[in-house]
Amino acid sequence: MKSATFGLCAAVALTAGVHAQSLVAEADLTAGRSTDGASAGGVQARVLGPIGHGWRMTLEGTWAGTTNDDSDAFGAAFPYDGRFQPMETYVETNVRARGPLLAVKAGRYRVPFGISSRADHGYSGFVRAPLIRYGGNFALSNTALEAGGDVLLGRPSLSVETSVGTPVDAGDATRPHTVDLVVRTQAFYRSVIIGVSYLDTRPNPIGPFVDGRTRFGGVDARWMRGGIELRGEWIAGRPFDGVTTTGGYLDVIAHRMWMGPVTVVGRVERLDYDAGPFSMHPRRYTAGARIRVAQQLAIQVNVLHQPSGLADGRTVALDAGLTETIRF
Amino acid sequence: MIVRAFALALVAVVTLAAAPAPIDLTGQAWAGAKPVADAVVWVDVPGAPRSAHPAPAVLEQRDEQFTPRVLAIQVGTRVEFPNDDRVFHNVFSFHDGKRFDLGLYPVGTVKYVPFDQPGLSRIFCNIHPQMAAYVMAVDTPFFAVTDAGGQFVIHDLPSGSHPFHAWRPGGTTIDGTTTDGASELEVRWP
Repeated sequence: MKSATFGLCAAVALTAGVHAQSLVAEADLTAGRSTDGASAGGVQARVLGPIGHGWRMTLEGTWAGTTNDDSDAFGAAFPYDGRFQPMETYVETNVRARGPLLAVKAGRYRVPFGISSRADHGYSGFVRAPLIRYGGNFALSNTALEAGGDVLLGRPSLSVETSVGTPVDAGDATRPHTVDLVVRTQAFYRSVIIGVSYLDTRPNPIGPFVDGRTRFGGVDARWMRGGIELRGEWIAGRPFDGVTTTGGYLDVIAHRMWMGPVTVVGRVERLDYDAGPFSMHPRRYTAGARIRVAQQLAIQVNVLHQPSGLADGRTVALDAGLTETIRF
Repeated sequence: MIVRAFALALVAVVTLAAAPAPIDLTGQAWAGAKPVADAVVWVDVPGAPRSAHPAPAVLEQRDEQFTPRVLAIQVGTRVEFPNDDRVFHNVFSFHDGKRFDLGLYPVGTVKYVPFDQPGLSRIFCNIHPQMAAYVMAVDTPFFAVTDAGGQFVIHDLPSGSHPFHAWRPGGTTIDGTTTDGASELEVRWP
């Protein structure tokens, strides 16, 4: 970890010195509290921009902590485990950015499975990741990362993205070394974006009962018109031999013109982890809002109901977070 | 008859030759003692010819930021909003000026917005809160955006004394008048 941290800092210093005119550095500072016993704070810093010859880079590091490790509050896109760690650190180029597409990425990046961008989960108004995107649920962790290469080929209307790499996960659910394959096909027509993804990797070795390969398939879709966005994912597969995880979520994100700085969000989701006596079948319903208080300051408030009980046993929680984005 | 025609032609040539040539107006914008980058300076010249279909302008989404940060255009210009990032963007403008919401679109896609009224539009991305830009639509072909040193050039400005205006991010719009024959202009916010 120390070497990775040193490498990240050195890379930032080096590239900032070489290309100080065009690189952008920014930081997100988040503080929040949930009624399920979690107070949290975190910072994510990143440097991104061109490094020459048509290549661009992204370097990102995070530190975030919470007072309640059992709660999944605030872990929408980053681990809240009290450690500094590098996140996405990659270089990329769009060989052809208009018409036919050919884009290449190399380094450490989020697993390109379904709706996977940090911004999709971290800044859209939800304080928690979907249940199916929470590593502790034997699902596809939202902080799973790959070290490898990724190629996107096609057109904006239809593209195929293929990633070959090895797991370098952040957070608690970490997979051992292996060769991963992730394939995603995406179609875009007018206001509709549909994707189909497949992942083959090794499971998080949480116990001696874990064996075999992890294989997930998923379908994701987004539709947007007039400030109303509907999006969702359905993911099914096996986290390891003998068990299955199935689940998904449907989000409504409303930002109509008359709503000004307010974005209203809602989520319905389910998770079915079938593992005999250890099975769990949580359902969760979330309503909330993101309010842009100033250009770079936003409040996020979520009320959620989980009939089977949250971390503290209660079925209702109120999450509130404040995020300041600073661009240098 | 021939003499009369010759005389008229001679008068026309002399008149044209005597008309002052347009100038390139150069200048610098200041806020107190500091030069101001990304300020928009525009000059009103009523009756000056202008293109009915100005060339499209581009406000690019790259590296999770808009480029340029300030875009000045003539009213009637169509602005292209290409997404050159691998992540989705959702460009919108809900404040003053042109109001629109382009929705989500992926890398390689370009969406367009015609700016058919003068005024300032503040542009945001609903997914990336740090992304912000300004589009200033002005009802004149004589405008410029200051560079990093606060300097600007407005080309081919007809001679004469004209009203000018200047705006900068976070500042007010200031007004003034150019001096006939002067090719330099200093714009200063207190």
